[in-house]
Parts: sequence; C-alpha cells; structure tokens
Amino acid sequence: MTTAREISVEYLARVEGEGSMRVKVVDDQIEDVEFSIFEPPRFFEAFLRGRPYSDAPDITARICGICPIAYQMSSVHAMEDAFGVTVGGSLRELRRLIYCGEWIESHVLHVYLLHAPDFLGYESGIHMAADHRQIVERGLRMKKAGNDVVALLGGREIHPINVRVGGFYRAPTKTELQALVPELEWAKDAAIETIKWTSGFTFPEAELDFEFVSVCHPDEYPFNEGNIVSNKGIDIPVSQFNEFFTEEHVERSNALHSRVRGRGAYHVGPLARYAINFDKLTPLAQQSASEAGLESVCNNPFKSIIVRSVETLYAIEEALRIIDEYEEPAEPYMAYTPKEGVGHGATEAPRGMLYHQYRIREDGRIADAQITPPTAQNQLTIESDLRFVLEQHLDLPDPELSWVLEQSIRNYDPCISCATHFLDLTVDRV
Amino acid sequence: MGDDAFGPTVIDRLAGQISESVALVESVGDATHLLETWRDARLAVIVDAVVSGGVVGSIQRIDGMRGFPSAWRSASTHLVGLAEAIELGEAVGVLPEAMVIYGVEIAGVEPGVGLGPAVEKAVDEVAASIVQLCDGYV
Repeated sequence: MTTAREISVEYLARVEGEGSMRVKVVDDQIEDVEFSIFEPPRFFEAFLRGRPYSDAPDITARICGICPIAYQMSSVHAMEDAFGVTVGGSLRELRRLIYCGEWIESHVLHVYLLHAPDFLGYESGIHMAADHRQIVERGLRMKKAGNDVVALLGGREIHPINVRVGGFYRAPTKTELQALVPELEWAKDAAIETIKWTSGFTFPEAELDFEFVSVCHPDEYPFNEGNIVSNKGIDIPVSQFNEFFTEEHVERSNALHSRVRGRGAYHVGPLARYAINFDKLTPLAQQSASEAGLESVCNNPFKSIIVRSVETLYAIEEALRIIDEYEEPAEPYMAYTPKEGVGHGATEAPRGMLYHQYRIREDGRIADAQITPPTAQNQLTIESDLRFVLEQHLDLPDPELSWVLEQSIRNYDPCISCATHFLDLTVDRV
Repeated sequence: MGDDAFGPTVIDRLAGQISESVALVESVGDATHLLETWRDARLAVIVDAVVSGGVVGSIQRIDGMRGFPSAWRSASTHLVGLAEAIELGEAVGVLPEAMVIYGVEIAGVEPGVGLGPAVEKAVDEVAASIVQLCDGYV
C-alpha cells in the first residue's frame, strides 16, 4: 500500500505569499521538492528601462538594504564596460574598501544574529543575546566597524549615495580613513575569535558535490573584477555569462531558476569563493581557517558560517591594507564619455556573485537591464540541499524538521533569512 | 523623498531649538547602530513615519519601554528594524532610562515631492512636543 506525506512550507511570515516550499513523500521516499523565493530584483529591471545610465547605482542599491554596495558595484562596472572605461589606482582600491565594509556588516549580521542561533538552539538572535550578551555585543561592535567603512565611503551605511560611474562623488581624505583603523584593528582580533567560536558548533554531516562558481582574479580575493570560474571547468569573461548560465521559468513558480547550461544547479557565495580563491586569502585568514578545521575546499554547506567568519577576517585585513597604502586621488572619478552599447558586470556580493547587464541607448538611457542576484542563482542548489536534509531527517517531528530546513536555507544567507521562523511547516498525510 | 522625510525634517526643525546636550541622530534603516546611541542615555526620543492605516498626519506617541505596536513593525527582508533593536537593546542591557516614540501616519513616498500638508503640520507639533519633553531632562 502506498502512503503519501505532503509537506507544505509557507515561509516569509512578514512577506506572506511570496514564496513556498512543497515536498511530496511517497513510501518514505521524497518524490518532489519545490522551493521558490521572493525576487525583488525582477521589478527593478523594469524600473530601470528608460532611466539615465547614471541612475543605475542609486536605484539598484535599493534592491537590498544589507548589500547595496554589491548592486552599486555590479552596475557601475557594467556601465564602465559599456563605455570602455577602466577605473584604476586609488579609486579601484576605494571600491574594494567599501566592499570590505559591506562584507563585514553583512557577514557579521548573518553569523551572529541570524545563523548562530540555529546552531545554539535559540529562536532568534534576540533570544540568544539574553544568554550570550558579551558575544552578541562583540558581533554588534564588529558590524558597526563595517557600517563605519560604508558610511564614510558611501555617505551613509544604508543605501549609500556616494558611488557613481567612474568612481565616487567625493573621495575620502587619508585622515578620514585613518580614523577607521583603531576599530578595525579591534575587529581583526574579534574576527579571529569569531572563527574559533563558530568552529566549535556542532555541524550536521554533509559532503555535497557542488559546482562552485565565483569571480576569480589572478592576484586578489575577488570583489569587483575577474573571470567567472567554476570548479568544473568554466573560466570565462563576465561578458559570456549568458552563454554558460541560463535562467529558466518553471511553471510551478513565478521565480526564474538559474542553471549551468547543459548541467544544472550551481553554488555561489562564501563556500564557492573560498574553494576557488583559497590561495588569495591572507596568510592569517588561511591559518585561522586551518585551525578551525577547514581545508582549502569546504563541501559542507552548514560550515558556511565558519567560511563567512574567515571572509570577515579577510575583509578586515584587506581594509586595513588599503587604508595603510591609500593615496588621495587627484579626482574622485575617472572621466569618460557615455555611448551606446552593452556592458556586463559581475561582482561578489556577500551572498554570492551578482551579475548585471545593461544595454545603453545613444541618448545615455537604459534600454534593457538584466540583474541576476545570488539568491536566484542558488535556488536550485538550495532545493537540492533541502532534498538531502529531508532524506537525512525525514523521521523528525515537524517542528524539528522545520528547524533544520530553515537552518539549511540560512546556509545561503538568502534575502529571506532575517525573518526568524520564516518557515511555517504544515504536513498533510494521506 | 515624500512624506517619508518626516523624521529628518523634524531633526532639521529641532536644530537650534533644543539643548546642545541632546544628540540629534538620523538613522537610515539599520537600527542596530541606535544601540550605541542609547547606551547610558537618560531619554531616547524616536521619530518615524508609519503606515498603519490611520489618518494621514495623525500623531501617535507611545512609551517605547512598554512594547512596540505590531502595526508599526517593518517588513524588511534583511534589516534589523526598530522593534528588533529595542528587543536586542533590552537583551544586552543598553536601553535608555526612558524612551518615547512618535509615529506619524504618512501617505505618499514619491521621490522629490516633499511632505504633504498634513504631515508638514505634524512636524511642528512633534518638534514642539520634543522640545518640551527634553526640557524635563536637561
């Protein structure tokens, strides 16, 4: 006799109706997993049509409150690609620096307030703070160190307004940057402690076969520039993104599903960056990773919390290096001439590679925009992970099953994870 | 900004009217940084625009130490909002001795249009109320 168990997960309690997860189990075998997510960037592609090219960094920054720099960086690099301008020297370094600030604030928020509670058995970061006050305060102070970098370079920490095509509206003075150093020095030690802390958590067993995809630069851990590289043979310029990756509409969902053409799911984010660029990390970050038990590739998505902590340390060290070597630029931006054309940009948002493509008309207005955010690229991989977790834990009661499913989704720090208990699990047994 | 400029406009209005011992801080979305401003403070006054179904321009004043109205909670996808910041502040022990929250119901938020008349009127009322409130603490 066949028995069926249908698990329906409506999530995002504060943005209801925007996504769902549905699992069909027949005779203790998972027959189907459907997972779909809220995708605000899709609306922004339409908002951008007909707007001046120069609006793109400020409009796309509004897509996400925690990673506006990623949207600004991908958009300005795409515009500069279209106009044939290359930003170098101190301005290029400032772009890396503001990205360091964003990684610090985003990674720390996720590690301390969103993901650690899953491992320590707390409903939320607020509940965790009651028992771990000093740890949470350490996280808040680290996050502020990142916020301060973004606020100085971006004009303010949320939806920054100082980034433009060609560089910045205003470049900071060396003195202004130096003021950030003491807190970043403190944060460097705190980041090492964070790696030790997270590596002490208990992790579910999971060694999964991912196709990792990341921006890869020959000389540096990636933020803004490099080829798109995978651990399964892809090594292409950013302009070929759509030749190797595709977004497909799936009938059951209003979200697009990204996949490698001819293959399938792929994985972007800290685990992918780490696996592809481990040799570009600083010696201290490599050593700290090793002491935390990580090898140069980590295939356990639950351990992304450690990798995120390692990347936080890297971002702090990189910020300190840039500040130390900074020379004030003669002008805050490079001169250029807008022209008709198509431009591509792929940069590394905290939660993974973010691809932008724009077609610019002769009058400098945007004819078409394509924004492929990391969470959409990870969607199939998250779905695959959920299938794995379900297979491992199908015998758990629904509340515990819901917990581990949420934890699995949070491995990817998607743009839905801040809603605590965003999974409202219901089970239908037939 | 449209009516959502209410908070910054109140800050502008208060500048010069209020004791120098009162720090005027603009928060732009991530409420965690408010925790530092609350630490060791006697009084925190929070001013924000709200959309909760009320009459546009209406002012609600609540005691922030007595819970946060559910209708005012934000629906951010990735930020710590004011309600969560207050809860977090309580958990880590950095709340001020007293907290007053002014919420003003708004309507249009189109860029560049500025405040509507009902919300503009509320700016003066709230600013005057805050000056009076702070006078009791300085």
